[in-house]
Parts: sequence; structure tokens; C-alpha cells
Amino acid sequence: MSAEAPPPPQPPAGLARMGNSAEDKDLVAQALAGDRDGFGVLVERYAAQARRVARAVLGDPDDADDAAQDGFLSALVKLAQYDARRPFGPWLMRIVANAATDRRRRRTVRRAEPLDTSLVGGGPRPDAAAVRSELGDRLRSALAELPERRRTAVVLFDVEGYSHAEIAGILGIPEGTVRSEVFHARRRLRTLLADWKEQVR
Amino acid sequence: MKNEPSFDHRPDPELGGVLRAALEPRGDHAAFVARVMAQYERALDRATIPALDILASWSRPGIAVAAAALVAGFLFGRSILTPVRAPAPASIEAAMAPAEGPGGAGLAALVTADDPPDASVVYASLVDQR
Repeated sequence: MSAEAPPPPQPPAGLARMGNSAEDKDLVAQALAGDRDGFGVLVERYAAQARRVARAVLGDPDDADDAAQDGFLSALVKLAQYDARRPFGPWLMRIVANAATDRRRRRTVRRAEPLDTSLVGGGPRPDAAAVRSELGDRLRSALAELPERRRTAVVLFDVEGYSHAEIAGILGIPEGTVRSEVFHARRRLRTLLADWKEQVR
Repeated sequence: MKNEPSFDHRPDPELGGVLRAALEPRGDHAAFVARVMAQYERALDRATIPALDILASWSRPGIAVAAAALVAGFLFGRSILTPVRAPAPASIEAAMAPAEGPGGAGLAALVTADDPPDASVVYASLVDQR
């Protein structure tokens, strides 16, 4: 028997998010009162999610981290505008997604090149362990081919566990459009996943 | 994973899992949090920069100077806008007399006087002339 107990299973992102919403409000109140630790706990809690959402928009992980950071600092500035009757996560993710979109626009203007080309896998990988990461490459490549709103919607829904209504609020689009975007994104990604499974069999 | 569940209201755990793995941040979580908090500290420093101290140091003399300027401006403006009141001539002769004449304020004074001449003085002058 190993000395260390295995880590507890992670709950789905959405459940974890909903369970903490009341505490989030307290943390926001602390941050508003100038408590560094209150803001720190919020960053700790939402960092991974913010980085993933930003990466869904931007593709490049370093740009995504910059955008996620921009999002947190922008949220800090706007914290007094947060409506404590609503969950904090969607409010923050809207700011993060906007920060990522802004950064992508600036990058597009600066470099005028298609999204994510550096992330697509090159040739065959030398070791078997890389086979799994090849799926990651393919998914990122497939995500990059989707319209920004579509890939953000599917990540918010299937990865982060937000509801259609919450995603509608985050992206500023009607709920029906969110459903449609998630549907089309899933169709593309599921096809890719099925093909990959066929290949590795 | 289902083949084509169209508008499924529930997240797809398999698709969500592989997407999550594909989007997993490259760098260390703790390092990212530390980086954001460092920016937070810098932002706080910028927000509290000596700006407040500077304003505080400016406030007392600044208010005094502003108040003095306001009062001076008010007095100056009032002195310009308030006309000097010319007294009404004491008699019609005085009114009709040339300005440089003895005791005459002049016709101009009668016309520009703020107060009308006393009617009894005017009538008395007319009666005397008859």
C-alpha cells in the first residue's frame, strides 16, 4: 500500500462551480474590501477554468495565460459592478472570454495569420506515449477550425459545465444560438474523435 | 459518447474529458496564480501611488488659493458690472446748464441719471420762467 492516499476524484467542473457560488460572493465582498486573500482565493479557484476558456478562444497557451490574467485584473477593476445575486463564474468567464477575444483581434491585426497553426501536430511522433497527445493536437486543430463563438460555447458547455442560459449570458447571444453552436461543434468534434478511435484500434 | 444526440441538454463527459485534456494549460497552476497576484499587487500600488498623498499635500493651499481667487473674481466682476449712480439734477436749469457751467450737471446728466428729476422742481422752474 502506498504511503499517500490517491487524490479524491474531481467533481465535474459545473458541480464544483455551483457548490461554491455562495462562498464566491463572500470572497468577492472580501476582495472589494481590499482583502488580498479574498481575491487570491478567487484566482486560485477559477484560474484553470479561465485559462482553458481563454485557450479555447486563442489557441496558443501563452497568449491564453496572458488573456486569463487580463481577465482577472479586469474583473478586479469591475468587481463593484458584479451583481451578487448572480453566480460569479459566468460573470468572470464573460470578462475572460472578452479579454481573450480582444487579444485575438489585436493578434490578428498584428500578425494576420490563421489561428493556432503552431499547435497542429507535425509529423509522426517517435514514441507510443505521444499517441494520446496526438488526439489533443487534433482536437485543438479541429477547435481552431471552428468559429470562435462555436468553440467557446462547446468548451463552456462540455468542459466547464455551464448551462445554455449561462453561456448565452457569457457570450452575449440568445440561448437558442448557444444550443445551435454547441450542436455543430459537437458534431465536428465527435466525428474527429470517432475517426481517431478507429485509427488507434 | 453518443453518435448524434442533437440538442442534448447535458454535457458530454467523454468529449468534455478529451477537450479538457487538450486545453489543459501548459504552465504550472501555482505559478500562474502567483503571476496574477503579482500583477494585482502592482495594480494596487499604482492605484494608491502617491496620487492621494499629492492631492492631500495640494489640498490646503490649493483650496485657499482657489477661494481667494473666487472672492477676488467676484469683487472685480461686481465692480465692473455695477454702474456708478449719478445724482439727479436739483433743478431744470441745472439740468439744462452746460456741464462745465456753475452748478450744472448738464443735459447728459439728466438723461443718464438713474433717478428721475423731482417733478416739483421741474414745475417750479417752469412757473418761474413765466
